[in-house]
Order: sequence, then C-alpha cells, then structure tokens
Amino acid sequence: MIARFSRLLKAAFTLTLFAVALAVGWNFWQGYMQTPWTRDGHVRADVVSIAPDVAGPVAAVLVSDNQTVEKGDVLVRIDPERFQIALDLADATLKDRSASLDQARRDAERYHRLKNGPAVSQQNIEQADLAVEQASAAYDEAKANRDLAALNLARTEVRAPVNGVVSNLSLNPGDYVSSGAGVLALIDTDTLRVEGYFEENQLPRIAVGDAVSVELMGHPQTLRGHVESIAAGIEDRERTNGSNLLANVTPTFSWVRLAQRVPVRVALDDVPAGTRLVAGLTATVSVHPRRGGGAPADASAAEPATARPAAVEPAG
Amino acid sequence: MIGDFSIFGVFVPRLLVLLLASYGVLLLLKKVLARLGVYRLVWHPALFDLSIFIILAATAANVAEWYPS
Repeated sequence: MIARFSRLLKAAFTLTLFAVALAVGWNFWQGYMQTPWTRDGHVRADVVSIAPDVAGPVAAVLVSDNQTVEKGDVLVRIDPERFQIALDLADATLKDRSASLDQARRDAERYHRLKNGPAVSQQNIEQADLAVEQASAAYDEAKANRDLAALNLARTEVRAPVNGVVSNLSLNPGDYVSSGAGVLALIDTDTLRVEGYFEENQLPRIAVGDAVSVELMGHPQTLRGHVESIAAGIEDRERTNGSNLLANVTPTFSWVRLAQRVPVRVALDDVPAGTRLVAGLTATVSVHPRRGGGAPADASAAEPATARPAAVEPAG
Repeated sequence: MIGDFSIFGVFVPRLLVLLLASYGVLLLLKKVLARLGVYRLVWHPALFDLSIFIILAATAANVAEWYPS
C-alpha cells in the first residue's frame, strides 16, 4: 500500500513538473514567435546618382572619395570653355537681333508718320508693323538662346543636390562625361534609416509609431527609433506576365510555405554617439507593440481589423 | 533571446546559444540531483530531465530579455 502510494506521489511530482514545463515553454515559444522582430534588417539611405547635365571633359574633381558634402557644394567642374564660347555667340546674336529690332521700330515709326501722305500705301505700313513683330520675336528667341547658353555654362559646375557623402568616386580630370550618365554616387545622409524585413505573419502586431530598438551587427549599443511606415506592396513571386499579356501563375506544390518579407521603415530617433551608420549594415530590428493600444499580443484574431487601418491611414 | 551572438565573428541566433548553455547547465544539474538522490522521487527520469531543460531554457531566455545584448 505504501509502495503504491509512493509511486502515485512520484508520478504526481513528475507530471506536475512536466505541466509547469509545458506552461513555461509554451509561454516562451509564444513570446518568441509573436514578438515582431527580425534579424533581416538593413541600414538604408537614398543614393543620388549624380549625373552632369552637360557633356564635356572633366576639368576638375573638387571632392575626394567618402567626403562629406553639403547641399550646393560643387562636386565636379566640366571644362566650361565650349559653353563660354556658346554664351558669347548667343550674346552676339542677341546684340544683332536687338539692333534689327531697333531699326524695324524706327522704320515703322517713319511709315506711320507718313500715313496720310500719298507716298505710303496701307500695305507698306502693315509690312513695317510685321517687320517690327518679326524682329521682336527674333529678339526674344535670341534672348532665350542666350539664357540657355548661360544655363549650360552654369551647369558645367555639378553641384550636390543634397547633404551627403560621396561614395565610390572614380572620376578623374580629363574623363569625358556625357550628359545624363551617372558619374558618382552621393549618399543622402539625411535619409539614413533602418528597414526591417518582417515576416508577413508578424505584420498585424506592428503599427506605425511603435517603438523600435535596433541592434547593428557587431555594435554593442542599441539604437532607438519608431516605425515610420510599412510597405504597401511587395512583388507577387508566383505571377508573371505571359507572352500575350495574360497572367502566368506558377503552379506551386509546396507543403512548407515560408512567410514572405515585408519592408518596414524605421526612423531613427536616438543614435548613440560614435555609431557609424553605413548604408547596407545588417541590423536586428525589434518592434515593441504598444500595450493596450489596440495591439495586444494575444488577440491575434481581432488584430488585423484594428491594426491595419492605423497602418494604412497615413498613406491614404 | 532576440538578436545575434558573436562567436569569433560568426553570428549565431542568441536563442541557439541559450539552448546550448541550458543543456550544459542541465548536465551539471543532473549530476548534482543524482548525488542528492532526487531521482529516487521521480517517476520517469527522462520526462523529468526534459521538463527541467524546458524550464531552464525558458528562464534563461526571459532573463536574457532583461539584459539586451
């Protein structure tokens, strides 16, 4: 009897412990799976591809690689001679047209004065007025051409459109650059941010404005920020356009489906001093959903209805 | 539990490290418990070990949560 009781007690002890373990383990697993976090995050910044507006040989490169520049700084100077000559030419034409216009005006005035005499016909007067108008139009044209030449000359100085850092500069004086072709990359440091690629099943627990902590790979400090926006769309990988513009949908047969990743943009609020934010760095991003703010961790069924509109509103 | 753990430049999930550490602690604990004779009070030792491991791992993960990186 005693032996049997002791066996029961043993079983009860072990099973109780197992039950506790199950509860603790389940709680932990739920937390692990439901906390919106990802190791798949990256520091990102807008990169401006600087392209000269006019073509020509490079006269001077005024920046060095990885140099910080401010908006409006001259980065590259293209040989201005050709454009200076074009401006002189346009100036000369403008002068010519101006003189012609003056002469046409004087002629017209003369004809108008003789209007009542026998020597000038109505046709003469109209032709004189026409000449003034034509000369005036020609003058305006020359003026526009001169402005264009001045603009081209001004554009031989390639300026930084944003504050940033020059990157991957491999431009040398003497290189010939053509208009519209990028010659150097300028990383816009004002747009540095972190983008976390979150699994789609975590999205319901992420709302715009939620606090975010970011750990950069290998950096001991934690960066703080908040969710700025959530991407409104990602590519549908199962679908392409067929040859005659019909949908070509891949017939998938996958038992295991992987959650797709949706970029979530994080604005950084607090970057510890000494942290060097390099666009492209790997980051671990954790979102801390607001408690009681309509996104509790357990009410997963009710969430999409409450969380989605909040996420969509700012965009629409 | 969230984040990476750097082992000589190889970054592994922190959870993996915590699980391995918990297993190490479990092995030690088993020796201590055996010495104390606790296993005489246990129904299925393997089930008991599993329970201890889960509790250890979950506790370690929760503690790690308070100390970021």
